[in-house]
Amino acid sequence: MKYMVMMFGDAGTMMESASPEWIQEMIRFMVQIDKDVRESGELVFQAGLADGSTAKVVSLENGLPVATDGPFAESKESLIGYWVLDVESEARILEFAGQIATYSNKVEVRQVMDGPPDV
Amino acid sequence: MRLPPTEDLLRELSPQVLGALVRRHGQFDACEDAVQEALLAATVQWPAHGVPEEPRSWLITVASRRLVDSWRSDSARQRREESAAALELPEAAQPSGQDDTLIVLFLCCHPALSAPSQLALTLRAVAGLSTAEIARAFLVPEATMAQRISRAKQSIKVAGLSFELPPANERADRLRVVLHVLYLVFNEGYATSSGPSLHRAELTTEAIRLARLVHDRMPGEAETTGLLALLLLTDARREARTDADGCLIPLAEQQRELWNAAQIEEGVALITQTLGTAPIGPYQLQAAIAAVHDEAGSDAETDWPQILALYEVLERVAPGPMVTLNRAVALAMVDGPRAGLALLGTLDADDRMRHTHRLDAVRGHLLELAGEPRAARVAYLSAARMTASLPEQRYLALRGARLA
Repeated sequence: MKYMVMMFGDAGTMMESASPEWIQEMIRFMVQIDKDVRESGELVFQAGLADGSTAKVVSLENGLPVATDGPFAESKESLIGYWVLDVESEARILEFAGQIATYSNKVEVRQVMDGPPDV
Repeated sequence: MRLPPTEDLLRELSPQVLGALVRRHGQFDACEDAVQEALLAATVQWPAHGVPEEPRSWLITVASRRLVDSWRSDSARQRREESAAALELPEAAQPSGQDDTLIVLFLCCHPALSAPSQLALTLRAVAGLSTAEIARAFLVPEATMAQRISRAKQSIKVAGLSFELPPANERADRLRVVLHVLYLVFNEGYATSSGPSLHRAELTTEAIRLARLVHDRMPGEAETTGLLALLLLTDARREARTDADGCLIPLAEQQRELWNAAQIEEGVALITQTLGTAPIGPYQLQAAIAAVHDEAGSDAETDWPQILALYEVLERVAPGPMVTLNRAVALAMVDGPRAGLALLGTLDADDRMRHTHRLDAVRGHLLELAGEPRAARVAYLSAARMTASLPEQRYLALRGARLA
């Protein structure tokens, strides 16, 4: 079954408070965990997102789409990266998410919806 | 039986075979599919049975057969009739021994196509890469890339583009587009990604191979030579520009013994022979700048006054904020960081720089050199927030954190 693991946080705050050693360690961890899930055959897709302060929000105003700069500049909890993994069990995805949590304020795990069951 | 086929041979023959087919049958779209199938057949059969005596003819024969098969299986009657008519085109339509590679390249880089289409189609029809290979290199699903290529071919059909070299009065403009496409292919591969970077390195290799191909077939085009030299001299530093974790290493800190000496030698020779033989252009100037960097035994030995002079010429030939930005770095190395920072200040109001992290990244670097760690840190962190490149974000974050 497929799950999306979403990592929330704020790169800006992290960079302002983290030591070079912590950043170095975090980079090594991220490189390694990506390698692990690629080699285990579980990785479907993963991506890191540019900082939330660069986001645009598109909403309808009087029926027309209008793009504005995202309101996330101050948010500590914008989505900064995600993985879609195909794993054997919920326990496995929670274990994976637990590893990510070491470096994130919050990690959310959601099952990816499937087609209808076989007829 | 000869030696097993190299992929190089197939890639070299691919556009020639396509050219031969299009001359005979028209229908660039269908011919291109048939050539891909013939290439696939060759990769299966040649290693087992040896390379045929006439590999080019073999591929043309197999591709033609596939083309006819595809027409036969097509149920639309009108299409069958058109095809039958096309098949009766006289053989003489194909000048013997003619190399159609350039025609195919110019067609794939036609201004009627969007840039992503130009890149994808060039890699498939000229470089002979499969859709799956191209998709992996661009980190998109194969189905997406297949659609992009099919739309590109559709654009050629709709625009009614003919299979011939651009007329003399359009040649220079069209060559500029071709060179730009090759430049983009290279950059796509050179920009390090967090994903598996192996396939992306393939793009830089392909871009160099294609630039060499244009250089060989259209001798005397100084900007083509300039581009080839620029790609060789830039790619020469590839091994040294990232560490084991994929983090960027700035030029000043790279281990120069990791640089590719043969590529540097070739690039320097190319640009040295070319400078002064024709009107100067942006690729020649960028190559000359890269050559000055690559020839320095250490960062301290870099001939910055020479680089500054070259950026001044580049700014006259092809002005733009990114050139000014680079000139500011060179100026800082010659006249001190304050001079560089003053020049950077002129870019603050430039709208084109509002959404790039580069201005703040360079500002951080120059402020650091000027002995202002606190201000440098603010600039680095601002740049880190703005970049869309993960390795760059990590590099800038580390740089800023070290100054805390």
